[in-house]
Amino acid sequence: MAAAMCVDDEAASAAAESAGVDKLDLGAAAGGKRSVYLMDCAPVWGCASTRGRSAEMEDACAAAPRFADVPVRLLASRRDLDGLGLDAGALRLPAHLFGVFDGHGGAEVANYCRERLQVLLRQELRLLGEDLGQISCDVDMKEHWDELFTGCFQRLDDEVSGQASRLVGAVQESRPVAAENVGSTAVVAVVCSSHVVVANCGDSRAVLCRGKEPVELSIDHKPDRKDERARIEALGGKVIQWNGYRVSGILAMSRSIGDRYLKPFVIPKPEVTVVPRAKDDDCLILASDGLWDVVSNEEACKAARRQIQLWHKNNGVTSSLCDEGDESNDPAAQAAADYLMRLALKKGTEDNITVIVVDLKPRKKAKSNS
Amino acid sequence: MDQQGAGGDVEVPAGLGLTAAEYEQLRPTVDAHHRYAVGEGQCSSLLAQRIHAPPAAVWAIVRRFDCPQVYKHFIRSCAVRPDPDAGDALRPGRLREVCVISGLPASTSTERLDHLDDAARVFGFSITGGEHRLRNYRSVTTVSELAGPGICTVVLESYAVDVPDGNTEDDTRLFADTVIRLNLQKLKSVAEASTSSSAPPPPSE
Repeated sequence: MAAAMCVDDEAASAAAESAGVDKLDLGAAAGGKRSVYLMDCAPVWGCASTRGRSAEMEDACAAAPRFADVPVRLLASRRDLDGLGLDAGALRLPAHLFGVFDGHGGAEVANYCRERLQVLLRQELRLLGEDLGQISCDVDMKEHWDELFTGCFQRLDDEVSGQASRLVGAVQESRPVAAENVGSTAVVAVVCSSHVVVANCGDSRAVLCRGKEPVELSIDHKPDRKDERARIEALGGKVIQWNGYRVSGILAMSRSIGDRYLKPFVIPKPEVTVVPRAKDDDCLILASDGLWDVVSNEEACKAARRQIQLWHKNNGVTSSLCDEGDESNDPAAQAAADYLMRLALKKGTEDNITVIVVDLKPRKKAKSNS
Repeated sequence: MDQQGAGGDVEVPAGLGLTAAEYEQLRPTVDAHHRYAVGEGQCSSLLAQRIHAPPAAVWAIVRRFDCPQVYKHFIRSCAVRPDPDAGDALRPGRLREVCVISGLPASTSTERLDHLDDAARVFGFSITGGEHRLRNYRSVTTVSELAGPGICTVVLESYAVDVPDGNTEDDTRLFADTVIRLNLQKLKSVAEASTSSSAPPPPSE
């Protein structure tokens, strides 16, 4: 593994003090310190998943370390990058992808999302990298991410419904992945050295633990969310309270991949959040509502942070980095994910539970490279 | 469901998707099997589905009280309760236990076979228990053939049910109709697929 650290203390300190990326002031040659954009970022995650008390397991999750390189223009403006002495046109950051997909009515859509979303996203990032080189003026970075994820999720939904063909083996297939009433949530996070980008569709959730406090990176798509209800009713649909608020009295979320019998009311369009990383970021938690229905954001952050610290205290800080390769679960983050899963079971959740914990805190190696 | 014709004119119930001429052919079936004495706090509804398959092929699917998942969505499993007197015979009084798929506001449904008339192609069941909000639900499904060019079978499904506390008639109808409409679409797909695989399509199609 080339580097043990995501960001060095001084770079992280500068990032934490700034109001945003615009104020980052670290060039490549400035006193030996490296820009946050040039730092490597080892993937450090754990994933725990269980059927719980349900008869079926319909959750799926994905962890794809170094799944793609993100064009740096998606993370900072050309002007700022030029000011740092970085090549805005060519620089790409390695990124990791984490995703939780909570299926309903069957597991087919969730399983398809787990495999397919990262492929689509990788393709789009590659294409976008080529396009960005041609753009001389700055467009808002968030708009790029919105467009990128919206396109990927729509394509995914079209493939699921059979409206777009997909490759199965070496054959073009245009039959639906699943029946009309099968669907899935999708909450995904792209993590690189400088930013965390989250896209969410449905009622799974991503929460950042920052300075011991939870920061919501997604807002659940529940049918009684005022703007979601308004959108649905404007299209002629109806939200009914029928064991909770449901679209047509049936589906307890307002957005999903699949569920074509409830089109056009239930849409696959994600909401996207782009967050610069900070020194006091502790960890990122992605989970299905099997966790969030019974554990608050605050409680989850506190527990995950504590479990990671506890693991390192008991095992020595260098163990995890020396014993594990780049591409496998980190035992400290795994302990946190397992703990959250068991906590949800103990609190009586009825649903499948899937939890991913991504450790965002730099852990110094015995011999630092910086 | 109240039906009041104005003199000799035929009023086709809104949203049924049938022409006046088609409805007129079906009216004896509607009058005989799809009318309910609906009291206060109840509602009812009638839905129709055209299927391009012989009525016998459609009926063979509809009558399977033991295996509703062939054409119904939202079913994870179905088990007919053993009846020592009946053996395997499907006859009025038989009960089935339906387990519902995830994500729905229901988990189980206990259902009783009320009518199974192979000559008239009338199937009726009621819901007698389970975890759901459909109280006193009773339903009839009929399979009819429409005269005219080409094969056209029309399935009518109707129900009456209590309106749950806190909901309106419209709420209740929306929930039940959405489920039934999806099931009838699947019935159409399954019946037409089974017909097309077993015989060449009629030339008029």
